[in-house]
Amino acid sequence: MDLITRLLDPSVFFPLTIAMFFGIFVGAIPGLTATMAVALIIPVTYYMPPIAGLAMVLGVSFTAIFAGDIPATFLRIPGTPASGAATLDGFELSKKGKGSLALTLDLFCSALGGLIGVLLLILTAPPLAKFALKFTNFEYFWLGVFGLSMAAVLSKGNTIKGLISASLGLLISTIGIDVTTGYPRFTFRNAELMDGVSFIPAMIGLFGLSEVLKRVQLGRKVMEIPAISEKSRLNVRESLIAMWKHKFTIIRGALIGTFIGALPGAGADIAAWVSYGVEKNTSRDSSIGKGSLRGVIAPTSANNAALGGTWIPALVFGVPGDSITAIVLGAMLMYGLRPGPLIFTESKDLIQQLFGVAILVQILLIPIGWIGIKAFSIFLKLKAGIVLTSVVFFSIIGSYAMRNSFFDIYVMLVFGLIGYAFEKLDIPLAPMILGLILGRMIEDNLRVGLIKTKGNFLPFLTRPISLILFLLIVFTLIGPWIFSLFKKHASK
Amino acid sequence: MRRIWILVVSLTVLSGLLLAADYPRKSVTIICPWGAGGGTDRLARFLADELSKKLGQPFVVVNRTGGGGATGHSAGAYAAPDGYTLTVVTLEIATMHWMGLTDLTFDAFEYIAQVNEDAAGVIVRANSPWKSLKDLLDSIKANPGKYLFSGTAAGGIWDLARIGMLDAAGIPVDAVTWIPTTGAAQGLVELLGGHVDVVTCSLAEAISQLQSGQVRALAIMADERDPRFPDVPTLKEQGINWSAGTWRGIAVPKKTPPEIKAVLEKAVLEIANSDSFKNFMNTNGFGIKIRNGAQFYEFVKQQDQDWKHVLQLGGYAK
Repeated sequence: MDLITRLLDPSVFFPLTIAMFFGIFVGAIPGLTATMAVALIIPVTYYMPPIAGLAMVLGVSFTAIFAGDIPATFLRIPGTPASGAATLDGFELSKKGKGSLALTLDLFCSALGGLIGVLLLILTAPPLAKFALKFTNFEYFWLGVFGLSMAAVLSKGNTIKGLISASLGLLISTIGIDVTTGYPRFTFRNAELMDGVSFIPAMIGLFGLSEVLKRVQLGRKVMEIPAISEKSRLNVRESLIAMWKHKFTIIRGALIGTFIGALPGAGADIAAWVSYGVEKNTSRDSSIGKGSLRGVIAPTSANNAALGGTWIPALVFGVPGDSITAIVLGAMLMYGLRPGPLIFTESKDLIQQLFGVAILVQILLIPIGWIGIKAFSIFLKLKAGIVLTSVVFFSIIGSYAMRNSFFDIYVMLVFGLIGYAFEKLDIPLAPMILGLILGRMIEDNLRVGLIKTKGNFLPFLTRPISLILFLLIVFTLIGPWIFSLFKKHASK
Repeated sequence: MRRIWILVVSLTVLSGLLLAADYPRKSVTIICPWGAGGGTDRLARFLADELSKKLGQPFVVVNRTGGGGATGHSAGAYAAPDGYTLTVVTLEIATMHWMGLTDLTFDAFEYIAQVNEDAAGVIVRANSPWKSLKDLLDSIKANPGKYLFSGTAAGGIWDLARIGMLDAAGIPVDAVTWIPTTGAAQGLVELLGGHVDVVTCSLAEAISQLQSGQVRALAIMADERDPRFPDVPTLKEQGINWSAGTWRGIAVPKKTPPEIKAVLEKAVLEIANSDSFKNFMNTNGFGIKIRNGAQFYEFVKQQDQDWKHVLQLGGYAK
C-alpha cells in the first residue's frame, strides 16, 4: 500500500506521464528511436530523485516501442526498428480498413506483453541472467542463423526471390570496418561508410519512401491512405475476443521477447522478428503476412516484453541487455546506484519501486497510447498529398537526425529506390532487413568464435546450448515437412 | 602600395581583435564524435552547459558519429576556424590515421585543454588463480597462445594497451589472443561468463563488477595509483615501464584566432578546476586530468608517436 501511494505521488507520477507522452511522440516519428528518446530524457532526470528519473526512463522506453507500431500500421513505416515486424500484418489490416482494430489489439498486446516481461523480470532476474552469461559467440552465431532462417519462413512460396532479398541484405551488412581485423571493407575510403550502412535510414527508405513512390506512381485515384477511410475508434470488444482466442500467441510472444531481451546484444527488434517467424511457422494460419491478427499479436507482444528482459542482465550483472539499458546503466551510476547482484539487497526499496513503476507504466500505456493513436489518425485525415509529403519530409529529417549526417539521407533515398524496385518485382523486403540486421551478428560471432577455438568448428556443435539451438533450427526448417510426411503416411 | 598593405594588415589585426573581444556572439557548436548517451557525450553535454553559463551564449552538442570516430573528428577539423565549432577530441585522433581509417592527423587541430584521462586496468574473474600481475604474466610465458584477452574491437584502445603492456614486459604480443568485442561492457560479459580470461579496460568501466566482487583488478596502466582504487598497483611498481589509457579534451580547427583560443582555454580550465566538474567526473567514474592548450598539444604529439609503435607491433598499422 505504501508503495502505491509512493508511486502515485506527483513527484513520480507527473514526470512519468510527461515522459510517456514524449515517448509516444518520439516513437511515432520514423527515424527517432526509443534509444534516442531515452538519451534525450536522461539529462532532464539528473535533477530528480532516482526513482522519478528511472520512472521517466521506463515510461519513455515502453511507450516509444509501442508508438513505433502506429506509423508501422498506418503507413508501413516502422517508427522504431523494433516495429519492423509489425509493419507486415498491421499495414495489411490497415489497407482492409481494419487499422483501428490492429492498433487497439497492438496496444493491448503491448501492455500485456510488457506486463509479462516485467513480471518475468521480477520473478526470474537472477537465474535468467546467469543463464544468459553462458551465451557466447558460438551460441550467438546460431541465434543469428535462427533469426535469418526466419527469412525462409517469411518468403514461403517465393524461395528464389526471398534468397535474392536476404543475400542482398547480407552483402550490404559486410560494408564497414570489420570488427575482427579492424579493416574497412567496401567503404571506398568514405568515412561515412566505416560503421556500415546506417540501419535506420535504410529501413525508413525501404518501407517509407518506397511506399510513397508506389502511391505516386499509382496516380491520383489510388493515392488514398487506407486508414483514413475508417473512423478510428477503440475496438475493445473485438480486440479482447481476439486476444482470448490467441492467448497462447501472446504468451509465446512475451516469453520469446523476454528471453531474447535478456540476452546481451539482442533487443526488441530481433525479439519481434523471431516471435513473428515462430508464429508464422508453427501456426496453420496461412493468412499471416496478409493481414492476420496473429501477425500483429506475435511481434507486438514480443517487442514490449523484450524491454523487461533487457533489464535482467542490466540489474543483476550491470551488463546492458540492449542500447537502452546501456544508457540507463550510465544514468544509474549518476543516481548513486550500483547495478550488480548486490543491488537487490543494498537498494531494496528502490528496486521495489522500480518494479512498481514498471507495472504502472503498462497500465498507463493504454490511455496514453490511445491518445497517441488518435492524434496520429487525425494527422492521417489530411489530404493524401499532404500526408505523403510529410512522410517524405519526416523520412528525410529522421534519416538525418540519427547522426546529423547528409550521407544518411542519400542512404535513405537509395534504399527507397531499392524498396520500390523490389515491390515492382514482387521480391519480399523482410528477408533483406533480416540479412541487414543479422549479417554482422552471424559473421562476427562465427569469426570471433573461430579465433577462440583457433579454427576448430566443433565447439559450434558440441557445446550444449549450441547443440540445442542447432537442433532447433534444423527442426524448424524440416519439422513441418516431416510432419506432413507422417500425416500423409497415416492417412493412407 | 605600401599604405594599402599597412591598411590591410591593421584591418586584419583589428578585425581579429574585434572578433575576439565579443566572442562568442552567437551559439557555438560542440562536435561529439561518439553517440548520444555514451561517456564522451555525457562529458560534452556537461561542458556545453557550463560553457553556456560562463560565456553567455548557448553551446550546443552535435553528435557526428561513424567511422570509429573519423567522421566527427573530420567534421570538427574541417569546420570554419572561427571559434564557433569546437570538438571533443578523443584518443582515436592519435591512432586512426596510422590504421588507414582517415587522412586526418592530430595536426589538423589546435588544442584548448585536456580534461580527462582513464588508464587501462588488467581485470580477471574473482575466482581466477591469478592473484597478481606477475602470476598472470608467468602463466602467459609458460603457455603462449593459451589465454584470451578482450575489452574492445581489434585495434581499439584496450587492445593497444595490452599490446604495449606485453611488449614492455618482454613477452611477444602474440602470446595471447585478442577477442574483439563492441566495447568494454561486452568484454566484461565474456569475462563473467568464463569465455575469456582477461579484460583490459578502464577500472571505471568495470566499477559495478569490481565493487560487487565478481572481478578483480591486478594492475592499472598509469604512472600513479588511482585514488578511487588505492589497492590496485601500477605497472611501473611492478617493473614494467608502460602506461596507457583513453583521454578526452577540447580542440578547435587550425588557424582559429589566438584571442578566441585564449577565451576558450581560460573558460575550460576554470570549469575543469571547479567543484561541480569534480562531482560530475566522480559520479560518472571518469578520471580527471587537466592539461592546458600547450601541454595538451605536446601530449597528443607524444601519443601519436607512442601509438604508431604499438600499432606496428600489433600489425594494425597501414
